[in-house]
Amino acid sequence: MNEPNVVHLFQREDHLAPVNVPMQTAYEIEQFLYAEAELLDAWKFRDWLALMAPDVHYWAPVRENRLAREMEREMYPPGTAAHFDENLHMLGERVNRLYTNMAWSEAPPSRTRHLVSNVRAHTTGQADEFDVQSSFHVYRTSSERHQDSVIGKRFDRLRRANAPYGFQIVNRTVVFDMATLLVKNLSLFY
Amino acid sequence: MDVSHLIDPDRGLIRGEIFHSQAIYEQELEQIFARSWIFLAHDKMLPQPGDFIQNYIGEDPVLVVRQPDGSVRAFLNQCRHRGMRICRADRGNARNFMCSFHGWNYGLDGDVINIPHGEAIYDAVERAEFRATPVRLANYKGFIFGTWDAAAPAFEDYLGDFAWYFDAYIDRYEGGLEVVGMHKWVLPANWKFNAEQPASDMYHGEVSHASAFQVMVPPPKDAHSPPPDWAMRQLGQLSNPSGFQFASPYGHGNGWFAGGMPTMNETIYRWQEATAAQVAARLGPERVLSAGHANIFPNFMMLSNYTFRVTHPRGPNEMEIWAWSMAPVAAPAEVKEAIRLDLLRTFSPAGMFEQDDAVNWEEEQRILRGHMARKAPLIYKQMLGRARYDADGLPGRTVPHVYAEEGARGMYRHYMDMMSGAPWPDLTRRKQQREDAERRALAAQGQPPAKPDAAAA
Ligand code: FES
Ligand SMILES: [Fe+2]
Repeated sequence: MNEPNVVHLFQREDHLAPVNVPMQTAYEIEQFLYAEAELLDAWKFRDWLALMAPDVHYWAPVRENRLAREMEREMYPPGTAAHFDENLHMLGERVNRLYTNMAWSEAPPSRTRHLVSNVRAHTTGQADEFDVQSSFHVYRTSSERHQDSVIGKRFDRLRRANAPYGFQIVNRTVVFDMATLLVKNLSLFY
Repeated sequence: MDVSHLIDPDRGLIRGEIFHSQAIYEQELEQIFARSWIFLAHDKMLPQPGDFIQNYIGEDPVLVVRQPDGSVRAFLNQCRHRGMRICRADRGNARNFMCSFHGWNYGLDGDVINIPHGEAIYDAVERAEFRATPVRLANYKGFIFGTWDAAAPAFEDYLGDFAWYFDAYIDRYEGGLEVVGMHKWVLPANWKFNAEQPASDMYHGEVSHASAFQVMVPPPKDAHSPPPDWAMRQLGQLSNPSGFQFASPYGHGNGWFAGGMPTMNETIYRWQEATAAQVAARLGPERVLSAGHANIFPNFMMLSNYTFRVTHPRGPNEMEIWAWSMAPVAAPAEVKEAIRLDLLRTFSPAGMFEQDDAVNWEEEQRILRGHMARKAPLIYKQMLGRARYDADGLPGRTVPHVYAEEGARGMYRHYMDMMSGAPWPDLTRRKQQREDAERRALAAQGQPPAKPDAAAA
């Protein structure tokens, strides 16, 4: 696999800068993320899909354990190993699958709680677009006694839109805080 | 522990105890994993001198390292001093490996090249003997396998007739394969479930993966026309299945649909179609479609969509899957990208097929806690007694249906052989005698019909 020397996602200067959006905007963005979490936990996946911009890219790179001096290579770069690398059509297929009643990983359906925190928003070159980071904890139980947790961070590009919750997701990078995934599957959305 | 009362391959009956018992698990580490050939790396994962990856043989971590002279060596990733892991990264590039406990330094070949204060505190002659435990390696068309066992058969003999089938996965095109993706995850189930399934069980797809097939059918041109006919042809294989299954005396299994493995990805489908003649010229016409799913015993599975995986045992109740997405080097960039995306959407932990397999295995494992669940033999009788040798231009032992359990029966027969603890030369002899006797018996009855009896299927 070719490995461009990508800058470690967590160390990007623009993500570390102090939050610079007005308080009202920050509030609206947070409320948008909470509404999104509600939709996912309520199995309103088609409503969730409506939060995506037509040109959405939903990406979750794979991570691995690297020597400290190769730390910037911990994350697989774009175009290589990923858990998700989706456009709107592909997300739509995943959503439709959950409604077939034969998606056995989610039939009977699991119960989830998407907890979203550490929201930080920054302006971008586009007046109506924002770079938003948030942490998440998705707790899931299923069957009689299965339970697991997926924790990670999201880097979103949100665009103001005339939509129920005020924004659309243009770009989402999901970074799971695991190298080897310590869960049996990733059957939902993060 | 004797497992022969738990497995009856001749009658197709296996007790669930073999997936549950801790004692059997410990015996597997010793008798199966320490004595079999285990996939460790592919040449393309180690392009430069000093490139290394860490992999496992059973529960034993192994470092696989490209040497300055271009060869590959592997050794137990355990410091000889107190047993710390020598290298704690999954992969990377190194000039040497320093144990971060007391600082013993190992060369790329596993030799100890420096010990802090070594001259003062160790006998010089003894010091020369300190080296990380080496692994015996074999490289088959870029695929590097290793074993601890000097008595194990040569890798090509271990593959046996499966080599012919293996080539249909890895050697279809000049230049072989390259890595385009990687996933690691754990499942709360016994490792044998993910070995047996690709060795044998094509039968589950229609039901287990019904949802994925449903949503991945390419959309029709407009609301009034049906889905494209190539996709319907692919799906037709599920409603009217035919094909073959192969079982090796060394526990490997292969199975495929007569019309090839269904893919719902048009880019991949078109490319396969466009290159079919090229593959036929390279491998012969029988092997254009003979790749479906397969397992090289004990734990290296592959699918014709180019997922290649090793399933590491992690106790009787857990497996750890390491899956590489590969693509033919010769494929155009857009086909490689289609393969990468197709695999992560189908056969990765987030994949629409893989997710559902996980639940089957999890529930199987959970239920095996029950006394009755472990006692009642599970039924492995599909196509029992229907095996032929060298029929239909297919080397070795096959049955003429894609839905069969010959692969599983073969896997567990070999599993029993290995678990008996008999040394390799005895096992090899026993296998040969068994096969000779079967071939004689089949010849005496006039081998069963060589053509798949499609009407009966
Ligand atoms: S354990 Fe490695 S140097 Fe002591
Ligand atoms: Fe499956």
